[in-house]
Amino acid sequence: MTRLQFESREEFLERLRALVEGGTPPHALTVQMPYEVPEVAILLREPPDRLRFFALFGAIGGFGGGLALTLYSVIGWPIVVGGKPIVSWPPFLLIGYLLTILLGSLGAFAGFLLMARLPSPSGLSEGGAFPDRFVIVVNEEAGE
Amino acid sequence: MNRFVRWPWLAGPLAVAAAAIAFLELGGVTPGRGAVLVTLVLWTGMAQGSVAVVAAAEITGARWVASVKRELLAAAHLLTFLAALFLLVWPLLDLYPWHASPGAWLGPRFFFGRNLALLAATAGAAHLFARRAVAPGAPAKRSAFLYLLCFVASQSLVAFDWVMSLAYPWVSSMFGLYFIVEALYAGVALAGLIFLLLDRDARAREDGRWVGARRDVALLAFGFSVLWGGLFFAQFMLIWYGNLPEEVGFVAERLASSPTRQLAFAFVAACFGAPFLGLLPARAKRSPLALGAVSATLLLGLLSEKLVFMLPAVPLSFGVLALQNLLLAGIWIVLVLGFGQTGSIPKVGAGAAGSGGGLA
Amino acid sequence: MAEPRAGQGLEADVLSALRRPGWRYFAGLGLTALLALMLFALWGRMIWLGVGLTGKNNPVGWAMLITNFVFWVGIAHSGTLISAVLFLFRAKFRTSFNRSAEAMTVIALVVASLFPLIHLGRVWVFYFLLPYPSERLLWPNFRSPLPWDVFAINTYLIVSLVFFYVGMIPDLAIVRRHLPGLRGRIYGVLSLGWQGTSEQWRHYARLYLILAAFATPLVASVHSIVSWDFAVSIVPGWHTTIFAPYFVAGAILSGTAMVLTLTIPMRRWLGLERYVLVDHFEGIAKILLFTSLIVTYSYVVEHGLALYGHNPFEHDQYLYRAVGDYRALFAIMLVCNSLLPLTLFVRRWRRSLPWLFTLGILVNVGMWVERFVIIVASLSHDYDPYAWGTYTFSLTEAGITVGSFGLFFLLFLLFSRLLPVLSMTEVKQGLAEHREPPR
Repeated sequence: MTRLQFESREEFLERLRALVEGGTPPHALTVQMPYEVPEVAILLREPPDRLRFFALFGAIGGFGGGLALTLYSVIGWPIVVGGKPIVSWPPFLLIGYLLTILLGSLGAFAGFLLMARLPSPSGLSEGGAFPDRFVIVVNEEAGE
Repeated sequence: MNRFVRWPWLAGPLAVAAAAIAFLELGGVTPGRGAVLVTLVLWTGMAQGSVAVVAAAEITGARWVASVKRELLAAAHLLTFLAALFLLVWPLLDLYPWHASPGAWLGPRFFFGRNLALLAATAGAAHLFARRAVAPGAPAKRSAFLYLLCFVASQSLVAFDWVMSLAYPWVSSMFGLYFIVEALYAGVALAGLIFLLLDRDARAREDGRWVGARRDVALLAFGFSVLWGGLFFAQFMLIWYGNLPEEVGFVAERLASSPTRQLAFAFVAACFGAPFLGLLPARAKRSPLALGAVSATLLLGLLSEKLVFMLPAVPLSFGVLALQNLLLAGIWIVLVLGFGQTGSIPKVGAGAAGSGGGLA
Repeated sequence: MAEPRAGQGLEADVLSALRRPGWRYFAGLGLTALLALMLFALWGRMIWLGVGLTGKNNPVGWAMLITNFVFWVGIAHSGTLISAVLFLFRAKFRTSFNRSAEAMTVIALVVASLFPLIHLGRVWVFYFLLPYPSERLLWPNFRSPLPWDVFAINTYLIVSLVFFYVGMIPDLAIVRRHLPGLRGRIYGVLSLGWQGTSEQWRHYARLYLILAAFATPLVASVHSIVSWDFAVSIVPGWHTTIFAPYFVAGAILSGTAMVLTLTIPMRRWLGLERYVLVDHFEGIAKILLFTSLIVTYSYVVEHGLALYGHNPFEHDQYLYRAVGDYRALFAIMLVCNSLLPLTLFVRRWRRSLPWLFTLGILVNVGMWVERFVIIVASLSHDYDPYAWGTYTFSLTEAGITVGSFGLFFLLFLLFSRLLPVLSMTEVKQGLAEHREPPR
C-alpha cells in the first residue's frame, strides 16, 4: 500500500491522472482531498450520483403526505369553518408544498448519510483524521 | 462589426406591418374591437422583459447572457414599434369603465399621455442601453439601471392602468410586481426560443459556452416558474380567502363562463406546470428542444392569461388577435436574426460578419 | 487591539477564535446572558400573572410581541439567501459570510419561535396547533394561517439546521484535527468521522446543491406565509395582495442589515481581515440596496392604490399611518428603509465599513418600526370609528423585546467561539481556484 501526499492541487491531479492512465484500476485508489475537486470524479469514473432520487421520493412523499393529512382531517369531520369549502385547495396545496420541501430535504440528507457511509467508524478512530492535504492511497493487492 | 442600427431596409416592412395591424383593428373588418390592446399588453411585456433580462444580467455579471445578448437586445427596436402602435389605443379608451366619469388619475388624456411617454422613455432607454451593452469594454451598469427604472415604471402602469383599470374599481396591489416578474419570465422564454432558433449555427461553430449558457437559461426558466407560481398563488389565495365581494367578483366572473374558465386552467398549466415538470429532469435542462418547447408553451400561457384578465371588458375578435400576434412574432424573428450575431465568433463558412437575416 | 496571531494560514486564523477568549468576550457574554435571563424572567412572570401585563387590548390585540416575531423571522431569511440563493447564482463573495449567515438564520428562528409561545399566554396549550391524532378526532384548522406558520417555521428551522450542519461537517473535521483530547473527540463525533474521500465529497456536493435548491423557495415562501397571517384578514391596510413579495423583500433587507451588524465587528475581533474583504461587504450592500428599492416600490404602490379605489377604509387607513397617532414612527420607517439605503448608490459609501455598520443598525430599527406600524396602526384604526383605539407598550413587552436581542447576540457569541465562523473548506477551494483556475 503506497500513500502519496501533495500540497498542491495541480500536482495531485497530474499524479492521479498518471496513475489512472498508467493502468491502475480506479477501485484500487483511495483519494482524500481537503476540498472538493470535481475533476477527480471524472478521472476515477465514478457512477452518476443517485442522491437526487432520495430527494425526489422524499418530495413526492411529502406532497402526497401533506395532501393526505389535510384531506383526511376534513373529510372525516366535515365542518364549515370561516365559510370556506370542506375541501379547500389553496391552503391544502400550501401545506403539501411545505412538506414537499421538508421531506425532500430530509430524504436527501438521509440518502447522503447512507451513500457517504457516515458516521464512519474508521473516520472516528484515532488515525482517521480528515487530512489537510491531498492524499492518494494505492492498494496494491487490489491492483493489476 | 458593431453596427447595431440598420434602419433603412427594416423601415419598409415595419410600416407595412403597422398599417396591417391598424387596418385589422380599426378598419371594421370584424365586429370585435380591442384586440390590439391585448396584443400590446403581451408584447410590451415580452419586449421590455427581453431587454430587462439583459440589463439584470449586465448588473449582476451573469455569464450566460453573452451568448444571446444581441438577439435579446434586438427587442429594443420592437419597443419603438410598440410605442408607435400604442397610438391605436386612443380610440379604444371608451372600453374603460372610468371613461364616462374620469377622475384625476384615470382620465383619457392623462392616461394616454403618461403611458405613451413611459413607452417612449423605455424604448429610448432600451436603445441607449443596447448600444452601450454591445460596445466592448466595461459592463454598461448605469444605462442598465436607468433602463430597469423605466421598465419597472412602464410595466407597473401596464398592469395598473391598462389591465387593472379595465375592471375598475377592482384593486390588486400586487398587479404591478406581477407583471414585472411576468415580463422578466417572458424575456427568459424568449432567450429559450433564441437558443432553439440558433442551435444549428452554434453547433456548427462548436461553441462550448453556448451549451453552458443554454443550461443556465433552462435553470432560470425553472426558477421563474416557481417564482411565478408563488406570486400567482399569493394573489389568488388572498382573494379567495378574504372572499370580499368587491374583490372576488373579478375572479368569479372569469371562472364562471367560457372561454375564460378554460383559458384560466390553461395558463396555470402552461406557466407553472409545463416549465416546472418539463424542466425538472436533468436531461431536459440540457436539451434545446425541451427548452424551446417549454418557452413557447409559456408564452402562449402568458397570452391566455392576458386574455383571461381582459376578455370580459374587451370584445375582441380572436381572428384579429391571432393575426396581430403572428405579425409581431414574425417581426421579432426577423429582428433577432437580422440584428443578432450569436456571440462574437464569426459564422463558419461563407458569411459576412453580421448576417443579412433570413433563415438561410 | 489583537495580539499577533500565532501560525499562518486560514485554519490557524479561523481556529484561533476557538481558543480561550479574552475578558471582553466574557463581558459581552455576561451582558447578553443577563438580557436573555430578563427575557425568560419576564415571560415567566407573564405566565404567572397573565397577558394583562402587556399593553394589548381591544382593538390592538396584536402588538409588540407579534412585531418581534415577524422581525426575527425576517432576519432569518437573509442567511438562507446568502448561503443557498447566492450559491445557486455562483456568487463568489458569499463564502466569507455563509457560515455566519446560516448561524444567524438558525439563531433568529429559535428566537422567533419563542414569540408565538409568549404571545399565546397559556403556553401549555401550544400543542393544539400540532397535527397529531387526538382522541376527539380534532385536527388543527388547516385553512387558518396559524397552522401554516407552524408548518412553515418548523420546516424552515429543520431545513436550515440541516443545511447549517451539513455545511459544517468538513470544517468540524478540521477542528477535530487541531484540538487535543476530549474537545477534539467531541468535534470528531460531530463531524461523523468525515474523511474527505472523493466519494464523500461527490455526495456532499450533490447534497449541498439539493439543499440549496430546496432552501431557495423557502426564502420566498416562509415570510410570505408570515405575511399572510395579516393579509388573509380583511383589516384595512392588511388585506392587500402585495404583502407577500413586500414582506420577503423587507425580510431580506433587515437580514442583510443584521449580517452587516454582526460580521463587521466579528471580522475585526477575530482577525479575519484577510478573508473577509471589503469587496464582499460591497456585495452584501448591493443586495441591501436592491431590496430597499423593492420595499420603497411597495410603499408607493400601497399608498397610491389606497387613494385610487372606492374603498374609504383603505384610503383612511393609509392617511392615518402618514399623519395619525403613529406618524413619527412612519417617518422613521421611511427615512431608515427608503432614504438612507439610497446612499449606497455612492461607491465610496458602499465600501465604508463604519457607514455600513451604522446603516445596518438604522435599517433594522426602521424595519422593526415598519412591522410595528403595519400591525398597530391598522388595528388601531379599522372600519368602525367607535372601535378605534391606540396602543402603548408596557415595560414587560419592552423588556421582552430587549431580552430577545440579548438572547440572539448571546447565541451568536457562543457560536463565534464554539464553531468555525468561516467556511474553511469553501474558502480554501475558492482561493485555490483563484490561483489556479480549473482547466
